[in-house]
This record gives sequence, C-alpha cells and structure tokens, in this order.
Amino acid sequence: MIQSTAMPRLGGAARREAKRTSRAAVQPARPWLHTRASGLALILALLVLWEASARLGWVQSQSWPPFSAVLAAAWRGFTDGELSLPLLSSLGRMLAGYAIGCSLGVAVGLLLGGNRWIRYLVLPVLEVIRPIPIPAIVPPLILFLGIDDALKIFVVALASFVPALINTMAGVLGVDDVLLQTARTFRTGWTRTMLRVVLPATLPAIASGLRVAIGLALVVTIVAEMIAGSAGLGYYIVQMQYALRPDAMYAAVLCLALTGYTLNRLFLLGEARLIPWMGRG
Amino acid sequence: MRDRLLARLLGLLGIAAVLGAWELAGRTGALNPVLVPRPSLVGQTLWHILSSGEFLGPLGHTLLLFATGYGLACLLGIVLGLLMGFSPALYGLFEPLVELIRPLPKSALVPALFLFLGIGPATMVTVVVLAAVFPVLINTLQGVRGIDPVLLDTARTFQCSRLRTLLAVVLPAAMPMILAGMRVGLGLGLVLVILAEMLAGESGLGYLILDLQRSFQIREMYAWIAILAAVGGSLALLFDWTDKRLVPWRGRA
Repeated sequence: MIQSTAMPRLGGAARREAKRTSRAAVQPARPWLHTRASGLALILALLVLWEASARLGWVQSQSWPPFSAVLAAAWRGFTDGELSLPLLSSLGRMLAGYAIGCSLGVAVGLLLGGNRWIRYLVLPVLEVIRPIPIPAIVPPLILFLGIDDALKIFVVALASFVPALINTMAGVLGVDDVLLQTARTFRTGWTRTMLRVVLPATLPAIASGLRVAIGLALVVTIVAEMIAGSAGLGYYIVQMQYALRPDAMYAAVLCLALTGYTLNRLFLLGEARLIPWMGRG
Repeated sequence: MRDRLLARLLGLLGIAAVLGAWELAGRTGALNPVLVPRPSLVGQTLWHILSSGEFLGPLGHTLLLFATGYGLACLLGIVLGLLMGFSPALYGLFEPLVELIRPLPKSALVPALFLFLGIGPATMVTVVVLAAVFPVLINTLQGVRGIDPVLLDTARTFQCSRLRTLLAVVLPAAMPMILAGMRVGLGLGLVLVILAEMLAGESGLGYLILDLQRSFQIREMYAWIAILAAVGGSLALLFDWTDKRLVPWRGRA
C-alpha cells in the first residue's frame, strides 16, 4: 500500500483533467441523469435481485441477509449507538494519526526536497521500508504499543507519512527554477524562500499527497483494528462476522463506504477553496 | 556520473548507519533485546530460513494467490475499461456501479467475503481482484478517453476495422495509463492478500507473521517481515523494469 503513493496522484489529476475535457468536448449539454439512467437502473436491479434472492430463499445462507435488513440494521446501529460509537472512535484515531503523519511527512519532505545530501542519505532507508505491506507492520508494533489507541495512531501516522513525504519532496523538486532564481536575485533568505516561494509552489503537490494519505488512513485504521482489535469499526466488523450477524456487518461496511466517500468529497472541496491555483501549475 | 555514485554511496551509508545504530542499541541494552533483536541475530535467522529452503512454502502460497488474483484483476480491468471507454452505452451502464463500489475500503470486505465464500483460496483471490481491479479499470478508461481524436480519425481514414483500431491504436496509446493503474493495483493487491491471510489464519506469509508474533518468536517474525519487504520491493522493481521496456514511449505522448 505504501508503494502506491505517487501514482494515484498522477492518475487522479490526469483523471480529473480528462473528465473535464472529455465532458466538455463530447457531451456538452447531456444531463448527468440521462447518460447514467441505464447504470442507475442496473444498480436498482441488482439491489432488487439481492432483496429477492434473500427473501425468496434463492440463496440459502446465513450470511445473505436481504438488503432491507441491512438498511434496518444500519438505522438501528446509528440510533442506539452500536454503529455510530465505533465509527466515531475510529475516526478520532484516524484523524489523530493522519495529522501527526502528514505534518511530519510534509516537514521531512521539505527538508529532503531542499537538501540534496540529506535526500541521498535518507531516501534509500525509506525505499527499504516502503515495500513492506502495512498489515505486516502491525504485529511487531503490537509488541511495543499494545493493541490500544497508540498502536493504531502510530500505524495510521506511518501510512500517511509516506505519501505526504514523497509528494512534498516531488513538489519541491519540481519547483520552477526561475522562481528560485528570482528569489535569489532579490537576496531572499533561505527560510523566507522556503516559506514564501517553495511552499506555495509545492502546495498542490502536498495537497495531492494529503489526499492519497486520507484514503490510506481510513483503510489502515480499519486494517489495524481488524488485526489488533480492541475497539472501532474494523473490530466491530470482525466481531459481527464471528457473531454471525451479517446484517450488522454489512451495515458497518456500508457506513464505512459512505465515510470514505464523504472524506474524499470534503477534501476536494477544501482543496478547491484553499488552493485555487491547484492544477494550474 | 560521479554524482550518482556519490548518491549511491551516501544511500548505503544511511542504511548502514541505521543498522549500526540498531545493533549498538541492542548490544548496550538501550533497546529491549527481546522485543527488538539485534540485526545480526535477525540476519542469522533469516539466513537459516533462506538456506534451509523453509521460505519456499509460505512464500509460494502467498505469491500464487496474489498472482492469480492480480492477473484476473488486470485482465478484467483492462477489458472492462476498454469496453467502457469505447462504448458510451456500456459506460453509462457500468459507471454508477463502479463509482458505488470504488470508495469502499476493500479491507472491510474481507470479513464479508469470509462469511460468503468461506475461508479458502477462492476468497483470497477475490479479495485481491477487488483490490486491484479498480485502479486498472479507472486508468484504462481514462487512457482510452484521453486518446487524441486525430489518432482515431486517422485509423478511420485508413478504414481500420474496430478490432484493429482497438489493438493497434487504442491499446498502445492507453498503455502508459494502464500500466500506471496496474502499478497501483500491485501494491494494493499485496496489502490485501497479507491482510486476508492474517484474518483467515490458515497459511501464507501474513498468517505466519502474525502467528510468530503471537507465539513470541520475535526473531523469526522480523526475518519473515524482511522477506516480505524483499518480495514487495522486487515485485515493484520488476514491474518498473518491464514497464520501461513495454512502453518506451511513455511521457512522449
């Protein structure tokens, strides 16, 4: 998971770009609903099929509750707190780890991008650690940190740290030389150049890194909670699997999907507000 | 050239410094030797595992599951991506479904799949497919949609058949994007197969690492993590190497 840091950024940016252009060029005024009517119908049909297969007993399985039961379980879980409390605790740990990991990642990324020698020295160490899939880091960390909040916050911080760092560094390295030379012409000091020239020019890259990181952070929170469960939504999902309460489990998965989607949307909104020069590099 | 050599040297120095500091901290007792055995001891264990051929079983198990799932995901993603990119009707049909499933954290689906498919290779492969298919699919789609219309018009001018246009024009033009998606899928697939093995608790690298931790065989655990890191690293390197040879035209679009 850590390996795939710079790529989604590229893909994401290119994707949005391509979407914008292709929409503008190919289908100027076709309403959104019109082009997707068949697709929405397909989703509806699948849901109906799900409901019918469970209700009419086409699928004879303990683990195949009808869709309406999942919705009911989600509603129950939210009103009595069985689902909303683990969600909130997961989100709290995720945000704590995310904040720590991203601030460190951006700081170290600026440092590595700004100084060649430090980069040569530190980057290979990072390259050795990077290919380890995140779940494999959890067991040794359990030895040090136990299975409570500290572990999850640390793992999330570690997972967010890497994309934040890599993207920040790439952003710094990609800063237009003319900008730097202009700053030098005006005899701007190093700190001032970093803060007033390099940082704003790097912000779009940093933002992409932070967005990759927020997606990762949610996944990693859930993964850590599943492997070293003591609380949270990941633990809840595994518990419901063991308890043979598939409706509650699917409800949790559903709620997680919504959370992931919302986080991504919020991030994009914030990005557009805070960095209006994004994508105009 | 000299600069690159110097960079390499500094890099090795950095790694050596970390290992050296770790070894020293272990010897002086600054690090708990039970929780973090010295690198020299882990190295010995690692050598033992490697030389006895012990690593082949779990590694082969994991890699086989991963390769099957990853291969299926790439095939599915590319085919579906090409179709959706080519046909507006299919795009309209599948796009909402894809957008619905894509934001799901795939790790959350692992317990659901255990319930539904049971614990076994079928579930593991499905998990990898689910993790890797979306980056491939999305990138293929965007690669196809981002094709210069002049290329397509040229193909039409020469009366190329649809199949020929697809194979000779669309696929090569979309290849850099497709490979970028496959690279993302590679990392995700590996993460998910390890997670699934940890949760299913039967066999494979993920199961082994968690099991060694629980039975407090710490040195072995670190050795296996090192093996896993080497596998992940080599897969990524292998991919990049192939990528360079497959699409030498990358970035020159």
